[in-house]
Amino acid sequence: MIHLLVSVKQVPDTTNIRIDPETGSMIRKGVPAILNPYDAHAVASAAEWKKKLGGKLTVVTMGPPAAEEALQECIEMGADRAVLVSDRAFAGSDTLATSYVLAEAIRKIDQEDHVDMVFFGKQAIDGDTAQVGPGVAIRLGLPLVTYAVEIQDINEEEGYALIIRKTESGKEIIKTKLPAALTAEKAIADIPYAALPDLITSLKYKPEVWSAQEPVAYDVAQIGLEGSPTMVAKSGSPEAHEPAETISVEENGLAGAVETALGKMLSNTSVAALLEDQQ
Amino acid sequence: MSKDKLQYDVIVVGAGMAGSTAAAIAAREGLNVAVIERGVKPGSKNYFGGALYTHALVDIYPDFFDRKPPLERPVTETGFWFLSDDGLVKATVQGGVVNSDPIDAYVALRAEFDPWWAEQAVAEGAFIIPKTLVEDFLYEDGKVVGVKTDRPEGDVYAPVVIVCEGVNNLLTQKLGLIDHDLKISKTALAVKQMISIPAKDINARLGLPDNNHGMAISVMGDVSMGLAGLGFLYTAKGALSLGVGVTLDALQESGIKPYELLQRYLEHPAIAPLIKDGQMMEYGAHLIPEGGWTTMPRLYTDGVLVAGDAASMVNALHWEGTNMAITAGKQAGLTAVEAHKKGDFSAKSLSTYQDKLSDLFVLQDMKQYRKFSAFLKNHPQFMDIYPTFINDALGMFFTGFGKPKRKLYKDILRSLTSRRPLFKAIGDIIAFGRSIIGI
Ligand SMILES: Cc1cc2nc3c(=O)[nH]c(=O)nc-3n(C[C@H](O)[C@H](O)[C@H](O)COP(=O)(O)OP(=O)(O)OC[C@H]3O[C@@H](n4cnc5c(N)ncnc54)[C@H](O)[C@@H]3O)c2cc1C
Ligand SMILES: Cc1cc2nc3c(=O)[nH]c(=O)nc-3n(C[C@H](O)[C@H](O)[C@H](O)COP(=O)(O)OP(=O)(O)OC[C@H]3O[C@@H](n4cnc5c(N)ncnc54)[C@H](O)[C@@H]3O)c2cc1C
Repeated sequence: MIHLLVSVKQVPDTTNIRIDPETGSMIRKGVPAILNPYDAHAVASAAEWKKKLGGKLTVVTMGPPAAEEALQECIEMGADRAVLVSDRAFAGSDTLATSYVLAEAIRKIDQEDHVDMVFFGKQAIDGDTAQVGPGVAIRLGLPLVTYAVEIQDINEEEGYALIIRKTESGKEIIKTKLPAALTAEKAIADIPYAALPDLITSLKYKPEVWSAQEPVAYDVAQIGLEGSPTMVAKSGSPEAHEPAETISVEENGLAGAVETALGKMLSNTSVAALLEDQQ
Repeated sequence: MSKDKLQYDVIVVGAGMAGSTAAAIAAREGLNVAVIERGVKPGSKNYFGGALYTHALVDIYPDFFDRKPPLERPVTETGFWFLSDDGLVKATVQGGVVNSDPIDAYVALRAEFDPWWAEQAVAEGAFIIPKTLVEDFLYEDGKVVGVKTDRPEGDVYAPVVIVCEGVNNLLTQKLGLIDHDLKISKTALAVKQMISIPAKDINARLGLPDNNHGMAISVMGDVSMGLAGLGFLYTAKGALSLGVGVTLDALQESGIKPYELLQRYLEHPAIAPLIKDGQMMEYGAHLIPEGGWTTMPRLYTDGVLVAGDAASMVNALHWEGTNMAITAGKQAGLTAVEAHKKGDFSAKSLSTYQDKLSDLFVLQDMKQYRKFSAFLKNHPQFMDIYPTFINDALGMFFTGFGKPKRKLYKDILRSLTSRRPLFKAIGDIIAFGRSIIGI
């Protein structure tokens, strides 16, 4: 029995943002909260694979009590169990604290019922850092496939998954051993339109609520404001960086391509300096 | 999933003002009620001016104000503004009758109020199913026994369905309760903007002492570019809601685009300073059924009741819609309860719904105002000549210094008669009176 887990976040619908002219901050009142769109696609994908393989799908979120609605939406899409990690002590958590909280929650779930794959969205549309998925994966020691656009296979028996990820120049097919983690692009699966009885079940569903003490006793120094070293000095859009150069194996042969690549890297001053440091 | 059929005592279509009220009333009497709403949430598809009217709200929840409803400001000043192309006459009232306890009307935002109003119904025991469109009805022996939704396994059964689908009444048409689609001469398109402005600036610009004072204004004249229609201005806490509604046929004939109409209103020299430096928060368009009695469907059939905008229950002159929807929703809910007691869901049994509404302002006003929408269309003078005349007359009266007053009055009269002969003007006033008294 496969056990898939998706970590989801409830976010304000940023297509609908209003700014308070007096304070300059976002008006949350009246702004609908939604399931982070990338996470919705991740849940849809996990639900497809659960259906295909037979098994179980758990979703987890850290958020305020109102995040229950986002979890209900996951149940509607086919999740079997939802955990809401919710406590005032978590308020103000940055990506470091958030990934600690989620990692420990997932560890706990895994102890009860072995988890084979953990799904994240590519990024949250409000915070946009794309740090939480990698942060959790590293804490759990899971191999991570970012920007996944398709899962070709999950082979529980032989313990691997085949995942296609998007890169700047194309696609990569990654074979990873299980358990593994991925962060999902929207292309990974379409959002299903649930049958009415499933919708009704989800509307009545109450998630399990976990506090900062139970069932995981969190280290207070690592959560909330205290556990969050991030200081936001300024925010803005970064400049687009140059796309990576592609060296074709077909044109140069494998050895030739490697040689060209190494040559280019060594001629790059910062890489050269780095190598010197290492020696 | 089990293949048991989804069965309720009552199905309500639409979680707007009428729907959530009908559901609350039926659930309060112990019935198992499902409300099916196509929006992501109640209210997510709903727009209005606008103001809610206290009488209807406290009739459903006597402790309404203790429940901490999301209201913006009480309406402490209300009336007409008459716009000429570059002038404004304000005829508003404050204090006196308007200063009642509680205040008669409150400005609200539907995106906040509707979910709250629906929550009150949930507290009474109703169950809300969002994100689901009702497409058709289920019939047995020619009688409605439920609805068909757009979801897989989407049939839902109940012996009585209360249709509160709002102005675009496709289901009501499907039932044959009305023999035509929306009539463009009897349906207005209202476009509005919510413009966010700091509360203290709103207060200063409109002369309101604090955030606990607010305005509901009907705007006549240059606002509709001569087309049959009305404008409005409402004060939320930190925003102004301004819009204009004109009938679809007038838009079509004139070729004027709705957003042009609104843009022109917002750029009017008397309006622009009110919204200076404001930020647009919301731009919306919504239909208003203005045919009243003349476009009202039959209100019931075997297993079905219709309430609110779906049944054309709007009084356009008074901006009354929500209170009609709430009152009709309540009566529909009560009728469903009685039908369950009788075990009889036939049209005959449900016909008491219409009797109840006939005893109330809902059908009485609809009947009385039955000629009003045609009146506006046939008397475009009310949209341009008279508002301009009011501006000229008042302006001349208070500027005619050093002028023989006999000449002043002549000039004032001429400013009317040059546009509309006196006997015709008198005829217009009488016609207006008749259209609202209903003779
Ligand atoms: C400029 C800026 C200022 C901020 N200021 C504050 C602040 O003052 N106070 C404050 O409380 N927060 C603040 N935050 C928010 C907070 O740091 C992040 O929102 C939060 O840690 C998650 O990071 P993210 O939104 O970037 O998610 P990402 O890393 O972009 O999310 C990637 C994926 O991780 C998963 N994920 C993310 N968050 C959760 C979650 N909570 N539960 C489950 N899964 C999750 C989802 O699968 C998601 O798709 C700020 C963020 C930014 C960018
Ligand atoms: C610009 C404007 C200003 C107004 N100003 C005022 C004012 O100041 N005061 C006032 O009292 N009235 C005002 N009105 C009128 C008032 O808004 C309406 O009369 C009132 O909302 C009617 O309520 P209702 O419940 O009948 O319909 P609605 O509130 O429109 O609710 C209908 C609901 O049904 C849902 N629905 C429709 N079809 C389906 C379906 N097939 N399946 C599932 N769900 C469906 C919709 O999503 C919606 O939620 C104004 C209207 C407009 C457009």
